[in-house]
Amino acid sequence: MSSPSERILHSGTGVVASGVRRTFGPVEAVRGIDLTAPRGEVTALVGPNGAGKTTLLLVLATLLVPDAGDVRVAGHDPVTEPDAVRARMGWAPDVFGLYDNLTGREYLEFCGEAYRLSRTRARTRALELLELARLPEYADRPVHTMSRGQKQRLGLARALVHEPEVLLLDEPASGLDPRSRVELRELLRLLAGQGVAVVVSSHLLGDLEELADRVVFVDRGATVGEHRLDQLPPGTAARPWRLRALDVPALVAALDRNGYDHDTPTVAGVDVRLASDEAAAELLRGLVGDGVPVVACQPLGGQLEAAYLQLTEEGR
Amino acid sequence: MTGSGIATVARQEFRLRIRAGRWKWLLGVFFLVLLGFTLLLRAALSQVSDEDLQFKGTVLYGGLMLFVLGLALLVVPALAAQSVNGDRERGTLATLQVTRLTAGEITLGKFAAAWGTALVFLALTLPLVGYAMTQNGVPVARVLILTLVLALLLGTVCAISLWWSAVLSRTTTSGVLAYISVFALSIGTLIVFGLATAVTAEQVMESYENECPPGTEAQGCVSGPVTYETTRARTDRTWWLLAPNPFVVLADAAPQIPDDSNDPLEDRVGVRAQDLDPLGQIGRQVRGLRNPPQEPSIGFGSQDRRPDAGPVWPFGLAVNVALGGLALWLTSRRLRTPTRNLPKGQRVA
Repeated sequence: MSSPSERILHSGTGVVASGVRRTFGPVEAVRGIDLTAPRGEVTALVGPNGAGKTTLLLVLATLLVPDAGDVRVAGHDPVTEPDAVRARMGWAPDVFGLYDNLTGREYLEFCGEAYRLSRTRARTRALELLELARLPEYADRPVHTMSRGQKQRLGLARALVHEPEVLLLDEPASGLDPRSRVELRELLRLLAGQGVAVVVSSHLLGDLEELADRVVFVDRGATVGEHRLDQLPPGTAARPWRLRALDVPALVAALDRNGYDHDTPTVAGVDVRLASDEAAAELLRGLVGDGVPVVACQPLGGQLEAAYLQLTEEGR
Repeated sequence: MTGSGIATVARQEFRLRIRAGRWKWLLGVFFLVLLGFTLLLRAALSQVSDEDLQFKGTVLYGGLMLFVLGLALLVVPALAAQSVNGDRERGTLATLQVTRLTAGEITLGKFAAAWGTALVFLALTLPLVGYAMTQNGVPVARVLILTLVLALLLGTVCAISLWWSAVLSRTTTSGVLAYISVFALSIGTLIVFGLATAVTAEQVMESYENECPPGTEAQGCVSGPVTYETTRARTDRTWWLLAPNPFVVLADAAPQIPDDSNDPLEDRVGVRAQDLDPLGQIGRQVRGLRNPPQEPSIGFGSQDRRPDAGPVWPFGLAVNVALGGLALWLTSRRLRTPTRNLPKGQRVA
């Protein structure tokens, strides 16, 4: 008999992890991470270096046994049923190696066979993925002639070789140029649209803001917040805003006069820390009233960054 | 565990090896060294006339086999000693472990690739073996059995090297330990056997009947029993320490060749192939070790004419194959994921 909650997991949820703990000797790498990643959505795993993101992904990827916690990936327990999980899960680590002397096609064909695809299926799947990763010209060229970004894309293609329903990506955008990052975003949205549960850990908050449906914040081994991206908590901490004016000395003088704490002016403008949108509106009103020729006033960093900074700050 | 899974890994490893190394050169040098050895030995044998030694092939083949084993033991550890930790270093192991391939398939696939490569080296010796067979005195059974034994011995070395590569994170360390393992098997067993024999030697009292020649009693010769203390080696208790030695296994596994002396009285000046056959000689010596000491001890220089106490090689080969099997089993356990314990300094991915 499976409990009702379990049945729900099996049908709709890609990844459910609760209370995951893992220590490495004296180091508590993960001390209570909760994460839910539904199918059809992109879930971002966000946190500073050393927060336990990679360790959690290793647990989800059937490589590491957690000390405690309930984990289901595609409805199966990665510890007791690793093969069932592997058949449904793709994983691309942050750092990985490729077999340098193989061609792109040979590499993907081998990976397909390792996932027990038939030889013919592995062959057609390799060609599909080379197309998808925009590497068709590398079908017959060795991997070591690829650029870093191309290798990153090949690694992602590898994780997709068996058409997984759960995709785990550790820093997939590192080393990608801006154009490749946009394409990665589009690809992940496409996969989510097809019903894949995508988990992405990344530092590139700007990218995630446009990509993710949900975000899980982790800090020092524990989950500190789990939100839908459109329901992020309103920022209460002061955020930096950037002001630009035609007359910089006049702007600085006006800020000083009104007691605003600001950074040294740069070519980009003058940064001021403001508590809220209302504070920004008030400042702007005052500056215009003072006759300062302001041309721009914008918050630095997105909403996600603001929430991230706030959540990781609170724990300090 | 499936055969196709093992084949997938083995094919991949083979392909990577072929593309990465200078195999043509290595195989070429290996063959030339063997060819040089064979030709030199043949030239040395031609110093003996055909009439004196009919079965030159026996000596040629025996010498060649021992030389091949020695040379192969220098090459084979390198074939597997970086197989697992090399993948770990290059970051390709974890991505293989998350596929549906099991730890056993990865282990056996890697082992098959290493052993297969070792067998390619072995196959290079076959033309020279064929040449030795044309020189008389090399029964086909001998060639078949020794080729099989040689293959199994090289498989053991591959398996042990693979295990080192699985338990140690640094490729240089595992390489060194693979060679030390081979050294332990081939030289270490000899040293341990020698020391153990010395330690276990027993002091015994022996006596003999002294008979004085007539007329010597006046000069102080006393007839009657004389007792003295002597040291007696008990190799019947220590022979098994030498048995796993690959050279011992190979030599003792060779079926004895038929006696080539037509004359049972051995009154001709010629040399018997049996006495020059290096394999047969080693075999007879190690079998003799299994005999308990003779009572009373035989005089210096006289030969032990007792029938030997049975072959040593089945035991030695069994130890080798068991070691290889154990190494493979431990390697597979080490590759199993998800892992609970991580050795110090080792990353999962």
